[in-house]
Amino acid sequence: MIQLLLVLPLLVPLYGAILCLFCWRKLQVQMAIGVVTQLGLLTSSIFLLQVVNKQGIVTTQVGNWPAPFGITLVADLFSCLMLVVSAVVGVSVFLFSLRGLDVKRMDFGYYPLLLLLQLGVSGVCLTGDIFNLFVWFEVLLICCFVLIALGGKKNQLEGAIKYVTINFLASGFLLTGTGIVYGLLGSLNLAELALLVRSAEAHPSLVTLAAMFFLVALGIKAAIFPLFFWLPASYHTPPIPISAFIAGLITKVGVYALVRLFTLVFVLELELMLPILTYVAGFTMVIGVLGAASQVDFRRILAFHIISQIGYMIMGLALYTPLALAGCIYFVVHNILVKTNLFLISGVVAHRHRTFALRKLGGIYLKQPTLALLFIISAFSLAGIPPLSGFWGKFMLAKAGFETGSYGIVATSLGVSLLTIFSMTKIWNEVFWKKKPETTEDEIETKVEKYENRLLHLPVVFLVLFILVLGLGAESFIQFTLKAADQLLNTDIYINAVLKDVK
Amino acid sequence: MKTLILAVAIRILLPLFILFSLYILLRGHNHPGGGFIGGLICAIGFIFHTMAHGPGHTIASFFCICIYVQPRQTGQNKLSHLLRLLSANVVNRKKLKGNATYTLKLLQVDPLFIIASGLFFAASSGVAGLLLQQPYMTAYWADFYLPVFGKPGTPILFDFGVYLLVLGVILKITFVMAEE
Repeated sequence: MIQLLLVLPLLVPLYGAILCLFCWRKLQVQMAIGVVTQLGLLTSSIFLLQVVNKQGIVTTQVGNWPAPFGITLVADLFSCLMLVVSAVVGVSVFLFSLRGLDVKRMDFGYYPLLLLLQLGVSGVCLTGDIFNLFVWFEVLLICCFVLIALGGKKNQLEGAIKYVTINFLASGFLLTGTGIVYGLLGSLNLAELALLVRSAEAHPSLVTLAAMFFLVALGIKAAIFPLFFWLPASYHTPPIPISAFIAGLITKVGVYALVRLFTLVFVLELELMLPILTYVAGFTMVIGVLGAASQVDFRRILAFHIISQIGYMIMGLALYTPLALAGCIYFVVHNILVKTNLFLISGVVAHRHRTFALRKLGGIYLKQPTLALLFIISAFSLAGIPPLSGFWGKFMLAKAGFETGSYGIVATSLGVSLLTIFSMTKIWNEVFWKKKPETTEDEIETKVEKYENRLLHLPVVFLVLFILVLGLGAESFIQFTLKAADQLLNTDIYINAVLKDVK
Repeated sequence: MKTLILAVAIRILLPLFILFSLYILLRGHNHPGGGFIGGLICAIGFIFHTMAHGPGHTIASFFCICIYVQPRQTGQNKLSHLLRLLSANVVNRKKLKGNATYTLKLLQVDPLFIIASGLFFAASSGVAGLLLQQPYMTAYWADFYLPVFGKPGTPILFDFGVYLLVLGVILKITFVMAEE
């Protein structure tokens, strides 16, 4: 049963993608397969989360070879949460793309690519092996490359080239780091590595060298300070469903891998790593939010905010207490939902008004009050206004910061929150509040367009529900993240779960 | 590229390429070889064929199935029509030559189809383990040896899937690039 549940988040999107490939020319059939697959992925991840919540960490050995030699799949609370959230985002993005994406792009295999991308995300979250981590990252990134370039518009190709170049470099670093780790310790299994690193024979300085490679590689993928510059250059170019999915989810997968590796394996010389991470976190926040403040395009503002939010997650890792890691997990979950939702809202606006430029937009509050309400819930949540979800994440992080006495980073994070409100108000003022500029002619909506626009609201409402639940039901969810953080820090549970057959 | 020598030679070499690739595929479990390299070798044969004859000719000679079709008659349901076509094409195909009620149609096998079936075989080879309450991809072997083939088991299905996948990908790339 466990064996089945653990591979289902991989098999469901894989079989969905295969079936979509068989029905390459029949878009309707692909859509139908997509619906079934997305719902299947969501249910299977929720089941897995329930099982893990009840039984603790569960593992399976693919191929039935014992742990340090075979391919291990591990699910703990953090990885299950990531799976569930990515499935939720998958459902909403899929719903959005049914009406919000042009047929030409769908013809070039949008649906199978989306499913393979989700396969990659599930793989990164479930793998218990450092080399497989690299392989799953490649699966995920190759799908991202194609999705970003899909359609072949000039600015898309430009964005894709930047994305591909820098991410290949990152993959090179990741592989080098894996090679060094294997050369030093002679194993690739995360649990065995965690044991070996803590044994007397490990050279702390050399392991830290490998850790640096991983920090740089995953840092590029997660877009942390000085390695973020590819993100604002590429994330705003593809059409909305694609950029919503990639922007909402993929950088956080990098953060997930960072948290996993730096709590499980690279725990030596933390007194060197944690200050670096703290500085990185602070700069990431500040640079991201300042970049956003200087932008005048709906999507570019959101793209820069991704960077700033990544800073908070890294801050949780850098503080390295149970509360801070719980805050980090909470923030990852919250941010995936909110960021995807804001991108989808920008898509709804652009679907109606054909532009993302703040200058040309306006007056939406009058015409689409529901959309304005949905936006303000997501935006306030991003900025961290209580009782919405962003507040609790920031609250946990700030509390953890005060407890450890890192006042500098807490002050930075609170200051950045203020600036986030500034950017969100800017979007609110320009897009929703101000009068529509006279120069642009008002498009007359046909009945079909009106209907389509209504349909596009559906995924946004779906995500807003989750955001509200996350904010209003914070108490139980915070307990949950604390439990997950506890699992992350008590590495013995993880090691025993994976290597139980060996001992 | 039009060279007479290659064009003639590849017709003889292509079966050799395919045979050799199958040999590499089958020995791959315990020796160097396997699905990936087998698929590449098989694809090389078709690449040479495309270089010598052009992609249109390669597709027409190897990736098309000729089937006889007949429009559905009134009062005939879809299933019986399908069965009738199937029996016409499989069982008494020879007799149909010159039969005026049937028309000949070319059914093109897209490399994408090969890719998808390769992925399907590879992914499904592991499901046997799941069905028997074991981890995914657990290998199961038969108890007997087949001549040439060796001991059949689920890993060969995986390798065969990889073979098809690689073949399909290379063919797709070749045909697209040759047409441009």
